[in-house]
Amino acid sequence: MMREESIRIPFRFAAGRAGSRMLAALRDDKQILGSHCPVCVRTLAPARPFCPECGGENLKTVELGSGAVLVSWTDMPGRGLFALVRPDGADTAMIHKLLGQSGDFHIGARLRAVFAAERRGHIADLQGFEPDPGSAA
Amino acid sequence: MRPAAIIGTGQTDHGRCRDDVSQPELIREAANRALADADISPADVDAVVLANMEMFEGRALPELWVGEGAFANRKPCLKVATGGTSGTSSCIAGFHQAASGLFDVVLVIGFEKHSEGHTQTGMALTDPFWDRGVASGALGNFALSISQYMAERGVTREQAARVAVKSRRNAAMNPHAHLKDANATIEDVMSSRVLAHPVRLMDMCPQSDGAAAIVIASAEHAAKLCSRPAWIKAAATRHEQPYIGDIDRRLLTMRTLRDAAQSVYARTGIREPLKQLDVAEIYEPVTYAELAWYEVLGFCAEGEAGRLIEDGITEMGGELPVNPSGGVLCANPVGATGVIRVAEAAAQILRRAGAHQIDGARTALATGYGVYAWADALILGSTP
Repeated sequence: MMREESIRIPFRFAAGRAGSRMLAALRDDKQILGSHCPVCVRTLAPARPFCPECGGENLKTVELGSGAVLVSWTDMPGRGLFALVRPDGADTAMIHKLLGQSGDFHIGARLRAVFAAERRGHIADLQGFEPDPGSAA
Repeated sequence: MRPAAIIGTGQTDHGRCRDDVSQPELIREAANRALADADISPADVDAVVLANMEMFEGRALPELWVGEGAFANRKPCLKVATGGTSGTSSCIAGFHQAASGLFDVVLVIGFEKHSEGHTQTGMALTDPFWDRGVASGALGNFALSISQYMAERGVTREQAARVAVKSRRNAAMNPHAHLKDANATIEDVMSSRVLAHPVRLMDMCPQSDGAAAIVIASAEHAAKLCSRPAWIKAAATRHEQPYIGDIDRRLLTMRTLRDAAQSVYARTGIREPLKQLDVAEIYEPVTYAELAWYEVLGFCAEGEAGRLIEDGITEMGGELPVNPSGGVLCANPVGATGVIRVAEAAAQILRRAGAHQIDGARTALATGYGVYAWADALILGSTP
């Protein structure tokens, strides 16, 4: 005998101080934010409330570029392309969608951020990254 | 700390769908086999540790439902839920309970019934802001790391395929394994369907229904109850920052696993793992991870993993057999998977591994892996 059902789980999560700044910047300014840790001398993307490496809270919010480098990519049939991209000015990578075809991408390629026309304070306000036609890389 | 040892192990017959039993019945199957293997009764058990990823089956507090199946009624019982390391960490928790003097006999049970829930939904319910909105799931995250690993170290698809072939061939000798195929070929693996470039179906571990249990006893009880206990010589666990983009080339570096291994090697005098270990049961969720972790675990130098598999060093008859059981690639009930690694390593020392027994195994390594954020390592030996 089997019992089958599905469960709907409503939720609401606070983005927190750093997360709210990050999401507001995406929505209002089409701007990706990072956090610079002066102890580790490292800029993290996306913005954080504390450094994951040293635990410090004394982080400086920095504006990252809309250009990026492709660190790694995968193509999932039926689901699209995903990537680790390192935004200009950051030392770490973000996971996001790649916009284009598999053949368009190689590790180390230059990319640029694409933002949605209607934005609501969500990571998807940044639609993904596409090849940068202005770059020979 | 006093010495402690594993005196019995038990596993269910793992499979894609165990509709024939409920979750408590599945657990009881493994628990009964472990107690029988240790030749003790439920009344001899002082405490129970459970390992399970409750969101994978979509129900909270599983111990309220399955506790009686685990003989936990009116006994101390705790649960560990740390992704793939749930099982190895629960074994380490049970070891600490016995070694600290808190309890004399501890039953550790891990289980998962993936067929009853939705594992990828459970995986996607982690970070609600930066991951969920662009969720590529466990598979996508592996693929992203693997692309980097291949580019950096020149590992080939064929070398990865050899891992899958070895795994299925070994699993054919293991009555508990989910996927077995003594005749699998490199071509079979390389022509299986793409799940996430460059990972193909046969590169990836399955989702299995299953449970596994071990009995850990303090030195005094182990000596009394077992003629040849598998002593837990050292155990280590490491956690680190979970956001995927923070650590460059994480599959290559996997520093949590490297640090955990170095810690247990240092405490057991292991300087040359390839020579000093007799067998390893490592948590390899995907073929490429097994290769990457040959390097991380010090079995070979960086960039040498492909040669290790090509030369048959890690095959059953090689210098260091890795995953004689068939490994995670051939059975993966997540909460149980880490317990299976420890149980298989222990069975080798206990000389109860059956058709996949490594002759004369005296020192064994077991590892656990949990979504990059956790890693566990244990060294088992035939002497305290």
